[in-house]
Amino acid sequence: MTTIIVVLLILLALLGAPLFTIIGAAALIAFYLADIETTAVIIELYKIATTPTLIAIPLFTFAGYLLAESKSPRRLVNLAQAMFGWLPGGLALVVLVTCAIFTAFTGASGVTIVALGGLLYPILVKENFPEQFSLGLVTSSGSIGLLFPPSLAIILYGLIAQVSIDQLFVAGALPGLLLVGTLGLYSIRVGARANVPRQSFSWHALGSAAREAAWEIPLPILVIGGIYGGLFTATEAAAVTAFYVLVVEVFIYRDLHFTRDVPRVMIESMMLVGAVLAILGTAFGLTNYLIDEEIPQKLFELVREHISSRTTFLIILNAFLLVVGMMMDIFSAIVVVVPLIVPIATQFEIHPLHLAMIFLTNLEIGYLTPPVGLNLFLSSLRFEKPILHIAKSVLVFIGLMLIVLMIITYVPELSLWLVETLGTR
Amino acid sequence: MSLLQRLDSFLNKFESALLVFFLTVMILLAFLQVVLRNAFSEGILWADILLRHLVLWIGFLGAAIATSHDRHINIDALTRFLTGRVRSSAKVLTYLFAAAICILLFDASLAYIRLEVDLDSTVYEEIPSWYAAAIIPGGYALLAIHFLIRVALAMNALVRGEKR
Repeated sequence: MTTIIVVLLILLALLGAPLFTIIGAAALIAFYLADIETTAVIIELYKIATTPTLIAIPLFTFAGYLLAESKSPRRLVNLAQAMFGWLPGGLALVVLVTCAIFTAFTGASGVTIVALGGLLYPILVKENFPEQFSLGLVTSSGSIGLLFPPSLAIILYGLIAQVSIDQLFVAGALPGLLLVGTLGLYSIRVGARANVPRQSFSWHALGSAAREAAWEIPLPILVIGGIYGGLFTATEAAAVTAFYVLVVEVFIYRDLHFTRDVPRVMIESMMLVGAVLAILGTAFGLTNYLIDEEIPQKLFELVREHISSRTTFLIILNAFLLVVGMMMDIFSAIVVVVPLIVPIATQFEIHPLHLAMIFLTNLEIGYLTPPVGLNLFLSSLRFEKPILHIAKSVLVFIGLMLIVLMIITYVPELSLWLVETLGTR
Repeated sequence: MSLLQRLDSFLNKFESALLVFFLTVMILLAFLQVVLRNAFSEGILWADILLRHLVLWIGFLGAAIATSHDRHINIDALTRFLTGRVRSSAKVLTYLFAAAICILLFDASLAYIRLEVDLDSTVYEEIPSWYAAAIIPGGYALLAIHFLIRVALAMNALVRGEKR
């Protein structure tokens, strides 16, 4: 009976049924079979949906979409170009840094490739970077800021795994920088080989770019500094960011019109929030049921029969998560897979923050892996290139990210050191 | 058929207006709260409770609108490659399933509301907590209606495709 239901639900999921209805169905059926009132699903939904930290999700998402719709991507690129353009391969660094900041703010929902990729790709090619490299770089950068504040993925992970979100943000700093740094070094090498002409550094250009973006420069400092310094909680940072971005883009830069554009951006961004919260709402009931039934414990015993060492477990975990990343988007993966994995990983004595970094890095790679990585499709649409061509262009980047993943996996200190040093709670 | 589409866009307009209003309140109130707390070390007592429930309302309204725009998160590894009648059939099936689940969830949330009413529980001072939670059955009802409209639209596409 149970097997038939599970197979049917998986089939429906593969046919494209909204995931929240699949999870909802599973929760309803599980409660029904266990003779528990289905109201329990709603009680859990109410509990998770009114968690104080959840307020950060709509506020940050709105701010990110507003930034993407304004002219701030262009100002940010100009500023980064004035700062790094003089380095060999500097333009590629511009791509990495701006995309990382942007992805962190827009929650890796594909907005980065649409808003920034279209801007950056032509510049890369014009500046003599190889076409294939440029395409690969822009595509891979579409999800590269996932580990930095105020990434939606981190907030969601913290909620589901019951880990402090502020700690997660601090833990993500070094792994995130390692990822950006590795791709940066590679880009510099490619730039040097391709004889990309260097811009000369000019204080004048930097000054005018900085003046242009004067109102946006405080933003990353506010969010990142505020959270790392323990000045703000993630929720407070979200409140300040949403208000600040609204005032700056609408009333100071006047990029967007208050009555014509803002409501449109609000609705656009809240569709994503609604889709994520719909999954979160039904999943919480299912999760609690699974925990009550000690399913993770049973899974762990099953796993332990075959795997005894921590190292082997980590290898299997990575392989498993890469496959998950190929099949699922990051939000549903967090909601569905995290509750099952966290208890097992705890038994293998993997620190929750370390596990979070492993998980998120895997899912980040999943955005790029054929056959179904989201970034591949977005790039293919945006740059009008065949999927296969795009997939080939990201291979090197996937390779580099896999190396970084190995380092993140086997050097837990990378994820934990900063949290311990700063004493973030 | 155009009647259904009109109903869909009428509901969307209504949901959008509420959503924009709630999000505006949320942005202003959340900011005000941070300022009060950090500058004057005090806050509005009811503001935090209101903010938390606004997330619930905004989430459901956003999800309802997302249904009309096909923005729900799903696994599209397979459906990306489907075309024509197979695609329409898959849509009819999955939307119908989605509508059914939303109706069941609507039913469960009605029971939840009844429970809250019976318990006479309040969310803040005299305000009954079911006022704040009313969007749960309301939201699932809206989702079910939008999904049913999608079913009808997909069936229409299927029938038309056959005639051609």
